[in-house]
Amino acid sequence: MKEVDVRGLSCPMPLMHTKKAIEDDPAEILVHADSGTSKANVVAFLQDAGYTVSVDQTGEEYKIKGAR
Amino acid sequence: MAERRVIGPTAWLVGGAGLFIGAIAAWLTSQGNPGNMGLCIACFWRDIAGYFMGSQTGQAGLAYIRPEIIGIMLGALAAALITKEFRPRGGSAPLLRFVLGFIFMVAALVFLGCTVRVWVRLGGGDLTAIWGAVGIVIGVVIGVFVLRKGFNLGRAKQLAAPLGWILPAIAVVLLVFALVTEYGAKPEWATLTPAKGKAVVPGEVVVTTDGDVIKPADATLVDGAVVAADGTVLADAEKVASAGAMPGGLRAALWISLLAGAAIGVAAQRSRFCSVGGIRDSILVRRFDLLFGVVGLVIGATIVNMLFGQYNLGFEGQPAAHNDALGSIAAMTLAGLAAVLMGGCPLRQMIMGSEGDADGAIAVVGMFAGAGFSHWAGLASSGAGLGDNAWLAMAVMAVILGAIAFIKRPRVA
Repeated sequence: MKEVDVRGLSCPMPLMHTKKAIEDDPAEILVHADSGTSKANVVAFLQDAGYTVSVDQTGEEYKIKGAR
Repeated sequence: MAERRVIGPTAWLVGGAGLFIGAIAAWLTSQGNPGNMGLCIACFWRDIAGYFMGSQTGQAGLAYIRPEIIGIMLGALAAALITKEFRPRGGSAPLLRFVLGFIFMVAALVFLGCTVRVWVRLGGGDLTAIWGAVGIVIGVVIGVFVLRKGFNLGRAKQLAAPLGWILPAIAVVLLVFALVTEYGAKPEWATLTPAKGKAVVPGEVVVTTDGDVIKPADATLVDGAVVAADGTVLADAEKVASAGAMPGGLRAALWISLLAGAAIGVAAQRSRFCSVGGIRDSILVRRFDLLFGVVGLVIGATIVNMLFGQYNLGFEGQPAAHNDALGSIAAMTLAGLAAVLMGGCPLRQMIMGSEGDADGAIAVVGMFAGAGFSHWAGLASSGAGLGDNAWLAMAVMAVILGAIAFIKRPRVA
């Protein structure tokens, strides 16, 4: 599984990192995000790329899992 | 990478929010806000700066605590708290964010409007705003280049809870001042542009569009002319009639502004609307959803402006605008670049600050300081055109932005 940490990054870096991570088409990806905006953007971006996305929200972060 | 949709379902969410924000902005003008300035983050913070610093910065005509600003911050705060997205965070190069906010504001006041008002002006038929839009695109293209080179202000970290409340606290303080001024009395040191005030002779003769003489106190209006108690004509009727209303005196009722602002704050927080991010994402990551926001804003403002008979297509006679193409392009290139470097437009900075992001709050404070500085130093434009030192200031700001953009490249693990 590919793992990306975009916590604390300003727009548009969460998307840039996510885009780079899915370039080699991983079957599964896990993105750590910590703001509502980066979560929403990464979720939409992964869905647009054909991933089925689930979000696990803990106190400090969003664990965004993508699979296809 | 496999095929990817470049326009997803969130395009409609952002587009709808843009439509709503544009419509509200145009409607606020019908309620008393200045022409094509129903919503302008830069102008409104400028007016707030005028309230607190106007006696030093010469902002007699641009001084009012815009309740829209308070509403946006409190609306976004409420939306963030309800959706559990309020998270105290910060520490990503706060000093540079202050500088970027400061530069954004000074540049925006050369153009006469922020990256939000560019689209609001276009929605009112103001074709001079095209120069601003061109500038934003150039600034964003430069910003994208810098981002691709690895520009990064560093990661924000979790902060102690009180630090997340900087901007909400500022909102509450502003609300207290706004209410005290509206229902009590203005503090002695504060500056407040009289409602519907027209400066016939700046600083000396002020009347309202309703025909009341505000200054000097003992003068009266006789056949349209301002006449002193001893019979001296201070300003003839022609001069009184030709004087334009001061922007700071043009305002919707406090509660209308406050509630409209809150609605905009909620819409912007939920949709992640950004007035520069759409262009940025389209170029940088080929994702067009955010672009629907500004397109929606222009459409919403256009429709409502037409409904209220406020639509005026052309380059001439546009409210609070000048037709200096080169100056507008240069100013908004700087503003667009500054916005990309700080991770979003001034509206986004306010929304993030209201979500507990201390860095967004610092950028807003930088904008506030930049507004006061701009007027104190005579850098802000007027309808007549650019200030004497505007080009010099823009050159200096370009050098500073260049330094920030090309030097600030820490590694990201």
